[in-house]
Amino acid sequence: MHKIGAWLLSLRGPLIAIVIGLLAGSIAILVAGGSIAETYTEMWKGAFGSFYFFTSTLSRATPLILVAMGAAVAFRSGFFNLGAEGQMAFGGLSAALIGLHVPGPGWFVCIVAMLGGIVAGGLWSAMAGYFDVRFRVNLLITTMLLNYIASLFAGYLVTYPFKDKTGAGAMAQTQMLDHAVWLPKLFKGMTVHAGFVIAIAAVVILYVYLARSVKGYEARMLGGNPLFAVYGGVRRTSLMLTTMFASGGLAGLAGAAEVLGSQYRYIDGSFASADYAWTGIMAALLANGNPIGSAVGAFFLAALQTGGMGVELNTDVPLEIGSVIQAVLILFITVKFSWRFMRRKKGAIVDGSAV
Amino acid sequence: MDQLFDLALFNSALRILTPILLAALGGALCARVGLFNVGLEGLMLIGAFTAIVGNHYFENTFLAILFAIVCVCAFSLLFAFLSIHLQANVIVVGIAMNFLALGLTTFSLRTIFHVKGAYYDKEMVGLPKWNIPLIKDIPVVGDIFSGHSPLVYLSIVLAGLLWYYFYRTVNGFRFLAAGSNPLAARTIGIHVRRYQYGAMIACGVLCALAGAQLSLGQVTMFTEGMTSGRGFIALVATMLGQSGPLGVLGASALFGFMDAFSIRLQGVSWPSHFTQMVPYVVTIIAMFFFRDKGFIKDAQNAGSSTR
Repeated sequence: MHKIGAWLLSLRGPLIAIVIGLLAGSIAILVAGGSIAETYTEMWKGAFGSFYFFTSTLSRATPLILVAMGAAVAFRSGFFNLGAEGQMAFGGLSAALIGLHVPGPGWFVCIVAMLGGIVAGGLWSAMAGYFDVRFRVNLLITTMLLNYIASLFAGYLVTYPFKDKTGAGAMAQTQMLDHAVWLPKLFKGMTVHAGFVIAIAAVVILYVYLARSVKGYEARMLGGNPLFAVYGGVRRTSLMLTTMFASGGLAGLAGAAEVLGSQYRYIDGSFASADYAWTGIMAALLANGNPIGSAVGAFFLAALQTGGMGVELNTDVPLEIGSVIQAVLILFITVKFSWRFMRRKKGAIVDGSAV
Repeated sequence: MDQLFDLALFNSALRILTPILLAALGGALCARVGLFNVGLEGLMLIGAFTAIVGNHYFENTFLAILFAIVCVCAFSLLFAFLSIHLQANVIVVGIAMNFLALGLTTFSLRTIFHVKGAYYDKEMVGLPKWNIPLIKDIPVVGDIFSGHSPLVYLSIVLAGLLWYYFYRTVNGFRFLAAGSNPLAARTIGIHVRRYQYGAMIACGVLCALAGAQLSLGQVTMFTEGMTSGRGFIALVATMLGQSGPLGVLGASALFGFMDAFSIRLQGVSWPSHFTQMVPYVVTIIAMFFFRDKGFIKDAQNAGSSTR
């Protein structure tokens, strides 16, 4: 009973944030001259209204969940990995290049391409981790800077050496992958692809890892209290490098799945303009790095986005209404941390114990 | 090589560095009081948009900039309230601020001006171009330093003023103390929060100016997401300059020059990707030399003093 009460209490913060987000959205709708009820109905329909819309929400959620898992595993271990964008770009590009140039049966190439994506993203991220443990270069800043270097380098590769010269357009992109290499769609005619299953598997694996395994316990200990963890014999260096590899690898997998499952080629800047990386990181931060919470968050943020498209189609309110609600919600959801913080502080004073 | 390097290159570098420098000084102020402001990009974007809105309604560039300053300060105050008073995670708030700015400006562009993508009106008057009397007659210097908007000169003056404030005034010394050791600062009676709020408001003003320079300086228009990463470059300049005003000025000058140079390279159809990479690569290399304190120190600091 007590447990359920605590659980409900922990939902209070997110719920208030959602209410504030929707209120801000209502104001924006009124300013734009729309009707609040109609707009929100259209938004709901756009995200969940029919099987088709529901599956496109799932399809948008796929890369977000994978990125969120990557951010969550690093976040729980106490490392800020803000480099998902670059890791995703490298993962996607590697998958595209492997898919184009490695010979073999389609399913085999597809798996190799995904592994290639994981390795590319993982190594890029582990490099930042190495800089931190070896040279004490701040991880948060390097991961953020490496985003730009990765995106620009990937952009260079598809603008010059690996550019698709078969098409008429001058787009900076690789050639289209062969049909056999594509990740299969889950339902005929729907956008959601097998990458979604992989993403869900990643959530389950990560949950088990963090909650049930020894390494996961060490990781959480390192995230919760680094001094205590090191004192207790956790090897920070190796744990950090593997964590960063896993974190970047998941982001790379997100890029690979996106290329193999829905775009079928690497298009310069397509991940950045869809804001997969930052939205995924936000989802992980919303749930404080809890894998299941992050996945739910990612799904919810994806629904806001696809719902916004429904709003755009059927009303006069622009589709950015989704981003406005999302941003306000995120702004206020972080406040939840501080409530918990203040409560803990108060509690410490009352019972006089050192937490 | 002649067509790559000439005085016009330095002239445009100066123009490009201005928004970066203004935002980076704002970032330096925040960083010095322990608020790592990832939201520079968003604040700048709001500044750019509201400057255009102000220009549209008041038909006066000065009032437009004033309007932008008021609007951006409102957002930076929200930022400050969430991160200082409610103790929300500064990085999360910063990222959310960027999202909010992008969504809100695009949304408002559609609702206020009923256009998508970009707003341009040839009736609008941008910032004036100043030619400073004496300087413009000096051969080389004149070519570089004349014909800019007032904000270009203001930004450089502000960097100098900030240096003076930090290192030559008592108040600035307290400001630095509030950031470097909040707990110690509080024990000698410094209102740490007051300085943090002050820094956020000043950062709002600077970001508003940076945005105004973008939307009213060279071209008089607003395009969706027109800051296109400049806020993050400014953040990088803040870090590379070690949050000292003159260091920030140097870093911004380097980035402005590299940016101007990469535009040149596009002209002779060279891949500009690598020149665009330079700011980031340089910063990472620089970070090997200006090392961070280790994580153990960080952890101890986090334990000993709460904001």
